[in-house]
Amino acid sequence: MLKRCIIAENRKLHASPIWVIFFVLPLISAGYGTFNYLQNLEILTERWYSLWTQHTLFYSMLFFPAMVSAYAAYLWRLEHLGHNWNLIMAAPVRPFALFAAKLLVVVKLMCFTQCFVFVLYVACGRLFAGFSDWPPMSIVFYLVRGIFGGLAVAAVQLLLAMLIRSFAVPIFLGLVGGIAGMLIGSKGYALLWPYCLMQQGMNANHSTDVLAGNVLPFLLACAGWLAVVLLTAKVLLEKTDVKA
Amino acid sequence: MQTVIETKALCKQYGPHTAVDHVELHVPQGCVYGFIGPNGAGKSTTMKMLLGLIHPTAGRVRLLGQELTEKSRLPLLRQTGSLIESPAGYLHLTAQENLEIVADLKGVPHKDIGRVLDIVHLTQDRNRRVGQYSLGMKQRLGIAMALLGSPKLLILDEPTNGLDPAGIQEMRALIRNMPAATGATVLISSHLLGEMEQMVEQVGIIDHGHILFEGPLTELQRHSRGNVTLRLLDPAKAAPILRANGLTAHSDSCVVTLPPLQDALLADLVQKLAACGAGVVELTPHTKTLEEIFLSLTSEEAD
Repeated sequence: MLKRCIIAENRKLHASPIWVIFFVLPLISAGYGTFNYLQNLEILTERWYSLWTQHTLFYSMLFFPAMVSAYAAYLWRLEHLGHNWNLIMAAPVRPFALFAAKLLVVVKLMCFTQCFVFVLYVACGRLFAGFSDWPPMSIVFYLVRGIFGGLAVAAVQLLLAMLIRSFAVPIFLGLVGGIAGMLIGSKGYALLWPYCLMQQGMNANHSTDVLAGNVLPFLLACAGWLAVVLLTAKVLLEKTDVKA
Repeated sequence: MQTVIETKALCKQYGPHTAVDHVELHVPQGCVYGFIGPNGAGKSTTMKMLLGLIHPTAGRVRLLGQELTEKSRLPLLRQTGSLIESPAGYLHLTAQENLEIVADLKGVPHKDIGRVLDIVHLTQDRNRRVGQYSLGMKQRLGIAMALLGSPKLLILDEPTNGLDPAGIQEMRALIRNMPAATGATVLISSHLLGEMEQMVEQVGIIDHGHILFEGPLTELQRHSRGNVTLRLLDPAKAAPILRANGLTAHSDSCVVTLPPLQDALLADLVQKLAACGAGVVELTPHTKTLEEIFLSLTSEEAD
């Protein structure tokens, strides 16, 4: 049943404008990060790690939440328009499977985005920063951790986009969440805020690992957020009336 | 005959407002059932409760001989096709892609898509984006989505809404033939009685959340018989005959308005009027509008 829902969700992405966001935002983010790095070479002396701090600062705080919010808002916008809620909810699938399928599709897009960001990071390092070697493996590790943190963000954003019929409002809330994440993270409450989890996972704007020795609580927090959101979505979808 | 849809004291309350009030529907197998009422009467709400899209405040729903519960809902939906509140669909995709999505969700093989496109005459336009479709085409695509997988029960909410006369005609023919062609039972709603008369065998009339009438269309048509007006050359000569037949006619110069009469009585009366030289030049039977039928049904209910 879940598989059928995922196939259906993937089909909805054909010829969809979401791919513009997918390609354009990481390019802006990488360009901005590289420019910042090249402007501050005298203080940024740790080569690949320094470049990473610049690439991830705005990516984790703004671009990533914006992109995941847009993916989530777009997937629900398709249902908010033209009474499609009736269509999907009268289909012989569990409502929760619809939500789970959307989450998995957002996660898929998010993974692609992380890969694209990595490619841009390496390309910028080699082409513009003039590094002749390859980035350290820990960067790949950060990206994977970013996906775990991103799971919580994706789930929260999908829930918001499901409940809020407007396209722009959940994206705005995603941006607020990302910016608030930087503040909450700096106060040491990172595990309590999903957007923080992503930033900490990515080791954003740090050249030493912020999560060193703390990976387990981090993963538990990601799982906790995911569970809370999924349960909320399940209850809402099953117990409330459909408003098309 | 099996009853395909049966509701018992179905209610839906929104705060102080009762949208659906103890509705009892009985839709027999293999018929086209017209669910008629003005806008806001509770038609859509009732239909959504049949599909489990809205949770009833009270009452029960039985579909295809099975109680609708959280557990039975999915197996029942697998045998049900629906079109609720104007056509759905993804505008950036083609009709073919839209139907593929619905087929995937229903678990129906894609080869069924060609069949339903044929039925609704969209085969030629299957690869056009639905955003470019006219309302009538979207409506037909909605029907095609409902028909995927040959469901035993079709629930169609105002499928003729917004169609032009030709489109309505086509939709009517399509739906009327559905039970014979596919064996499906069809529940179809409309706010226009006239639109339904050539399509349905059974009707349920709802107003303010109450069922006012349920039964065969022929029985409803008895209620829809309106006054008869006669245009006479000499109304004065007619008066004694009308009195003798116990009719109180309302006459306005040469036009006489009579209450609804059985055909045999009317024929007899016209013959007598002609014989006495009243000069019958025009006879117009009037059909009551849906509103007037509502009034006559509600006043009967009050009696």
